[in-house]
Amino acid sequence: MSAPVTIRPSSDAAVVKGGPTRSESLTSLMPVLALVSLVIALAAAKPGFLSQPSMTAVVDAAAPLAVLAAGATIAVLCGGIDLSIAALASLSSVLLAMWLPTLGGLASVAVVGVAAAAGALQGAAHVFLRIPSFIVTLGGMSLFSSIALVISGAAPVPVIDDGPIRWGFTRIFDVVPSAAVVAVVVVAVLALLIKATPLGSWITATGYSEPAARLAGIPVDPLKIGAFCVSGACAGLAGVLLVARTFSGGPTMADSLLLPAVAAIVVGGTAITGGHGGLWRTLVGALVVTLLRVGLSVVGVSAAYESILYGALIVAAVALTLDRSKVMVVK
Amino acid sequence: MAPLVDTRPARSRLRRGVSVRDAGPPIALLVIVVVLSLLSPQFRTTGNALNILDAAAVLAVVTCGTTFVLLLGSIDLSAAGVMGASSLVVAVLVENSRNNLDLGILGILIAVVLAAALGCVSGLLVVLLKVPSFMTTLGVSAIGLGIATLVFDGVQPGVVDPSLRSWATGRLLGLTYLTWIAVVCVLIAWFVQRYTRLGRYAMAIGGAEEVLALSGVRVGPYKVAVFTMAGAFYGLGAVMVTSQLGSGLVQSGASYTFASITAAVVGGTLLVGGRGGVLHSTVGVLLLTVLTNGLVLIGVSPYVQGGVQGLIVVVAVAVAAAPLRHRNQVVK
Repeated sequence: MSAPVTIRPSSDAAVVKGGPTRSESLTSLMPVLALVSLVIALAAAKPGFLSQPSMTAVVDAAAPLAVLAAGATIAVLCGGIDLSIAALASLSSVLLAMWLPTLGGLASVAVVGVAAAAGALQGAAHVFLRIPSFIVTLGGMSLFSSIALVISGAAPVPVIDDGPIRWGFTRIFDVVPSAAVVAVVVVAVLALLIKATPLGSWITATGYSEPAARLAGIPVDPLKIGAFCVSGACAGLAGVLLVARTFSGGPTMADSLLLPAVAAIVVGGTAITGGHGGLWRTLVGALVVTLLRVGLSVVGVSAAYESILYGALIVAAVALTLDRSKVMVVK
Repeated sequence: MAPLVDTRPARSRLRRGVSVRDAGPPIALLVIVVVLSLLSPQFRTTGNALNILDAAAVLAVVTCGTTFVLLLGSIDLSAAGVMGASSLVVAVLVENSRNNLDLGILGILIAVVLAAALGCVSGLLVVLLKVPSFMTTLGVSAIGLGIATLVFDGVQPGVVDPSLRSWATGRLLGLTYLTWIAVVCVLIAWFVQRYTRLGRYAMAIGGAEEVLALSGVRVGPYKVAVFTMAGAFYGLGAVMVTSQLGSGLVQSGASYTFASITAAVVGGTLLVGGRGGVLHSTVGVLLLTVLTNGLVLIGVSPYVQGGVQGLIVVVAVAVAAAPLRHRNQVVK
């Protein structure tokens, strides 16, 4: 009487096994290895590379990217993806530039709050309307860009008094870029929050197997909305950092950061299928992506190859980190 | 005898259900046309109707490609990059302002083949490396944009070739050649979808890939073929855009990735695959173009269009997904 079709969840293999396999521990070390070999290669190609000013410049350039990618990492860990982060960062930069004259120091807080709300809204649409996250955030990307273009009149909004946001672009002791400190603090706070609370195991469980997580009583829906909310807040903060260094907000300012941010996440070794990965990995990934960009110009390759590099990098990194036991049918 | 009696009403009920669902987008199109005609005197002119058809041409061709990928249940975010690369390549290969090449129709073919090759790469990556299609196509899009930037090389190539320029300017029965090309493309795509093995299998893969694979069909090659064909449509779309703009631009396809997905989804081609088709998507293209045209005539900022599209796609996907809530429990 019963139908002979049995669907065996192949993901049980991933759950049953004890420790990480050799290939897994290798892939988890890969980002660090890539970073180290890049630094060595660059130091060999350009003798002055290991000097303090040049290192400071690299770390400074990586900071907004790291903040942007850190938030989206949580969405990826839950098994979703957030494609709207760059557009949301652009919108945040415009909002910040417009609100700074009236709100002063509070403007940054307001912008991060609005961005968090926008992220939460997308998360809610994803969860309650059952729309795949990439299509919700693709729609969000289009919507946020459009709002940014309309309210800014499709022109950059200059910042006259950057006093309230100078914290985002100074050198602490003339050496350490404050933006890098912000990035490290964001990653550390998020990582601690995840480690110290059940959130960490909830996120991992949801990413590895959502039905199992639901059955285990994990509040999957609020968790996912929270993940997209954090992703939005980080995009807002990245927008603030960008305004601090360019003294203006632009409706398309951060749009070019989407691919590097996705690249940073997957190069860091976070699996796009969810569950496997971590925030510190994204930090390493952001540094790798930034160093690659620097490396291209050091070697003297045209900047046009940058885009090709990101494309190839994303596909290669996803292919390497993909949890194939979970993907029965590739869509 | 009893089973026959039982199945008949069930089948007719099913058919009626299908026809109501299929009729939704055309009815919406009709309603929007009527409402806009009442709101704006400029909208209800023959000239504007022709304008709308001309404006829909490129999107219609691009959406033909996207539709087949969506039928698989995959998604294609590569239109922007593929179109950028093709646009630049065709602009430097036909008679142009930058070099002495004058390949004419051969240049157009090369551009379309390049686009098909990029589509093929997406397909191969999906099938061989099992990377989800939204990731591969995002990567391929970046690669396409890189190629476009390389060919662009700081100097914008203007198209001089008179025959390519005439695509956008020459008219037949009041419509530009571009529109007729789009009509032919839609008919070809519909024929492929309806009468060839590729089209039927694309539909079946989207419906139930495991079942098709278990019944002995080698699914992989068909998937690659679908992505390749989609690339070819993007390439032709890029040639058409280049003819419209009169020069090759890296960003010439930037808005089409999202617009084509929106059009397909609004027309009733579901993201889960296996439902809808080229004709559905073409209705979606007309719907989107009419809406854009109407909003501009009413006086809404053109920058609002992207936002409207963003909202439309989310609403359309939500409405389409509502009856399937229990079928796909896990939504990533």
